[in-house]
Amino acid sequence: MWFRAAVLLLTSCVPSSLAIFADEVNHIDFHHALLGVPSPQTTFFHRPSASSNASLLYTLSEKLVLGAVNPKDGSIVWRQNLGRWSSLDQGAEGFLRSNDGETTVVSAAGDLVASWDALDGKLAWKSRFDDGPVKDLELLELQDGSAGSDARDVITLFGDKTGIVRRLDGLSGKAKWEYKDDRFDRPPGDLPFQVSSSPTEVFYISLQSVPRKGYKIKITVLDPQSGRQTKQHILSSENEVSSPESILFVGANTASPLIVWGDKSQKLLKINIVGSKQVHTVNIENNGGEDIQKIEVQAPQGLNSPPHFLVHYETDSSSWAEVYHTDLKSSTISKAYQLPRLSEKSVFATSHRAANVYFTRITDSEITVVSSASDGVLGRWPHKKRAVDTALHAAAEVVSKGDSAAVRFAYVLDSGDWVLVRNGETEWTRHEILAGAVAAAWAEPTSSEDLVHELEIEGHESVLSAYIHRVKRHARDLQRLPAWLRELPKRFFSSFLTPEVSNLDSFGLAKLVIVATESGQVLAIDTGKHGSVAWNVKAVETKNWNVKAIIAQSGSATIYAEDGSSVSLNITSGEILAKRAPTSKIKSIAIIPDGPAPATVGIGEDGTPLEPLAGSGYLVTLSDDGRVLGWILGDNKSPVWQFLPPRGERVIHATSRPAHDPVASIGKVLGNRSVLYKYLNPNLALVTTVGENTATFYLLDGISGKVLHSSVQTGVDTTQPITAVISENWFAYSLWADVTDTAESKGYQLVISELYESPHPNDRGPLGSASNYSSLHGADAPPRPYVVSQSFIIPEPISHMAVTQTRQGITTRQLLCTLPASNAIIGIPRPVLDARRPVGRDPTPAEVEEGLFKYNPFLEFDGKWYLTHSRDVADIRAVISSPTLLESTSLVFAFGGDVFGTRVTPSQAFDILGRGFSKFQLVVTVVALAVGVAILAPMIIPVLKASWGSTAE
Amino acid sequence: MSSKSPPPPPKWVVELNSPPPRPSPKASKIPDPPGYSSRPTGKQRVTQQSAPARRPVETDTLKLKKAWEIALAPSKQIPMNAIMMYMSGNSLQIFSIMMVFMLFKGPIQGLLNTNAAFAKFETDATRAKLRGAKAVYVLMQLVLLGLGVWKVNAMGLLPTTRSDWLAWESEREPLERAYFAFG
Repeated sequence: MWFRAAVLLLTSCVPSSLAIFADEVNHIDFHHALLGVPSPQTTFFHRPSASSNASLLYTLSEKLVLGAVNPKDGSIVWRQNLGRWSSLDQGAEGFLRSNDGETTVVSAAGDLVASWDALDGKLAWKSRFDDGPVKDLELLELQDGSAGSDARDVITLFGDKTGIVRRLDGLSGKAKWEYKDDRFDRPPGDLPFQVSSSPTEVFYISLQSVPRKGYKIKITVLDPQSGRQTKQHILSSENEVSSPESILFVGANTASPLIVWGDKSQKLLKINIVGSKQVHTVNIENNGGEDIQKIEVQAPQGLNSPPHFLVHYETDSSSWAEVYHTDLKSSTISKAYQLPRLSEKSVFATSHRAANVYFTRITDSEITVVSSASDGVLGRWPHKKRAVDTALHAAAEVVSKGDSAAVRFAYVLDSGDWVLVRNGETEWTRHEILAGAVAAAWAEPTSSEDLVHELEIEGHESVLSAYIHRVKRHARDLQRLPAWLRELPKRFFSSFLTPEVSNLDSFGLAKLVIVATESGQVLAIDTGKHGSVAWNVKAVETKNWNVKAIIAQSGSATIYAEDGSSVSLNITSGEILAKRAPTSKIKSIAIIPDGPAPATVGIGEDGTPLEPLAGSGYLVTLSDDGRVLGWILGDNKSPVWQFLPPRGERVIHATSRPAHDPVASIGKVLGNRSVLYKYLNPNLALVTTVGENTATFYLLDGISGKVLHSSVQTGVDTTQPITAVISENWFAYSLWADVTDTAESKGYQLVISELYESPHPNDRGPLGSASNYSSLHGADAPPRPYVVSQSFIIPEPISHMAVTQTRQGITTRQLLCTLPASNAIIGIPRPVLDARRPVGRDPTPAEVEEGLFKYNPFLEFDGKWYLTHSRDVADIRAVISSPTLLESTSLVFAFGGDVFGTRVTPSQAFDILGRGFSKFQLVVTVVALAVGVAILAPMIIPVLKASWGSTAE
Repeated sequence: MSSKSPPPPPKWVVELNSPPPRPSPKASKIPDPPGYSSRPTGKQRVTQQSAPARRPVETDTLKLKKAWEIALAPSKQIPMNAIMMYMSGNSLQIFSIMMVFMLFKGPIQGLLNTNAAFAKFETDATRAKLRGAKAVYVLMQLVLLGLGVWKVNAMGLLPTTRSDWLAWESEREPLERAYFAFG
């Protein structure tokens, strides 16, 4: 008690906030700046500047984030989220093109076409068209160079039903001409498919539907200068092409653009050189006896590249490829050579440099580079790769020196990792799958949990058996003694040479975060190792994994999904321990921390618990139709209470106090040493409802369902983010409100409300000194809190709020706010957000003593509050916090788009020796003094004896 | 050698052992040195001259008088201490803490030594009358002690307010527990 009181006193004395120092960056925090998993067609190497030979790796990812990555270290040079520039549907197609020697890259997604400076990602121009989503994008390379400008013009294809081809000016993005494919007004219009261009012509390729058969390929030739239709012909492909996916390849911007499609039996390959009416048929040689699973065609993009292309065949167990050459003069296609059939899967990457085309073949065991001209292997390296990973696609860059070549390629694994390999050595790995994180939870390392478990056993046994258990445990521990002794000198010296703050892993700062992604992947991120990924496991085969909860305890993490299924994984290794099949659809998961293993129960969409639970207690759930329901644990037939918002309002959010929310002091000490008692009720729920332009925040008692407090905000823009959080004896919410009859302010607001037992100091309210209370029995049960509120105008919206957690709750809390507008996370110290700050006057000395200062309606975000400092932490969905063994320190982890982790010390690191304290210096000083004494003593002692001895004798 | 009687002591020994009677000033005719007073002063008068001369009643009265002086002596320190305490401020500094410590040490020691302080005045006859003096003495020490307590209180060191006992108060426990599944 005294210790706690002393620490409380200490923490209340120190300044409430500390900035992050430059030498702490990358030490206490980590950041994965993510793009999302790169898409196959929109990932390539490109030289952003004509003067330099260095190239960057560009990608437009599945998340429609456009970015440039430095191939040397995998760091992001720049990125742009196209979703921020235009409203994009889920799964909208993205296109990214660039041409050799150009300083821009052109992207298209949804209704937006934009050109970006390749070097720094600045927007050159953007154009928006509202006639359907973009279907294709090509850069025009005209032979005569009549464009007369550096930037190449852009050919775009828009439209879902009716294709519209446009030529956009390469410098301004303005449409030069437009070709609309509506000349034949037949009801089932041609399906716009792609555009392509040769040096002299623009081709618009559409698919003409043939009833009950398939599609014919219609090629419309357009004049690049005027956009007028010059020719049109139709290829009869209806027997082979049943859907747009049947067309394997439409070659873009090669000297001879191609259309390649195959028949259904995978025996024939049809190839048409766009512009000619002739269709070449190639027989597929398949000697393995297995069905071909995949045919892929790769051709170089450059205008100067020879017209060579590669066809890659894959069966279940083997893969091979054939290289074809096109003769431009005679318009014939001939097979040049074959890359051998290997009994493993391959990934091919095509790259070109000057007039050479290279194909890089990546298999599980080796990497080979061949030129398109001949099958001589230019380079061969062994490939070191984890066996479980399967490569999906790759982008390569080949540099050839005579008859040898060096290659670097970036390939995407099915685990979502993006790996760059240079000459067989892995240079870097980016875990792009984390961009789709949907849920995360903290997990204790197994060792500390084991000890807790053992101590729990000892606590519950009789004295003698507990003693025997302990002796046995210590005997077992002795096995680790030799290893411990071996490590001792290292630990001893490292503790001297490094400041204490640099290694605090043994204080619970090294925790794992289990992250589940929407693609069914589960990752563990180690906060003790700068956020490195400890393991990465495919848990579920799905595209949209809607995770409801992750519960991590006693060495395993269980992930509950929306369909009622669950997966258990080993925290240390990521091994899948158990899988439970889907049952019925659930809305949420209730966790009853009862005994060593918490009981869980799914909550149906109507808010009903799927099964009754043993034990006493109440369950509060939310139903899909916006009711809050209270249940007795043992009864899932009918709720004991329900909260229906008033007519016209609907529940958008409900939250309760965090599971770990310790309160160090049950009252607030005022300046005159009297106490304002906090209203501490663990059963509080904060329910947010919105009406047409109002937002109401209800404070409910979870047992009786009684509304303890409510506050209404008028003039609210309900399309803006509205967030709320509750902890200890306070809750906070943020919204955008306009001026109304009752409200005088307009802008983003942050409101803080504190709950007290009574408005009077030294008064514990109607319950007096009772040590417990019931929410059901009694005249005025539960008592209503006395609420003090203050609101602040804040400069930008807050999309998510969380509260820092510490072990004992002694340290002051910080309100962790996610700022989507500035891609940052800030921690606002609670003393700043004190609802009792004096309004309109200076604080009295007693209030100053309490730490209160004058209320200012505008709360400017102090630069020191930014936990992300200069980092650009984008698209954060949620922030979670975890206590550590150090009371001063709380771990913070943010996920959603980027992944960011840091640790915060809201009341300074009062229990850690700082960087300024050098053990080494201390020891050296002591040793130097001892040595000095040892040296000087023989010289001084005779002199002393001589002078003092004469009088003593 | 036969035993001889010791030689007679030197003259100064004889004179030391049996000093000659002080010559009366009149007899010696030697004037006293300037500033010398033949009358004994202070305690000598009480102990040497009067002791055999006084009667017991007179001695007891004197003893009582003296005892009252001692009893009231602490009261003289009160104003000085009060001023010092007032001036030293209520902040927790080494000097004010030392002064407060001294302020407590004096009265507590005085209280413990109450009987010792009055022991030499205590006779069978004065015992009853000394009680009053002792009571006043104790009272005065308590007043000094009170001054110290007032000072400590002013410094905020006394657990007299609600906040000082807050750490021993516990959170009110709810009898029912609710679990939330808001998702």
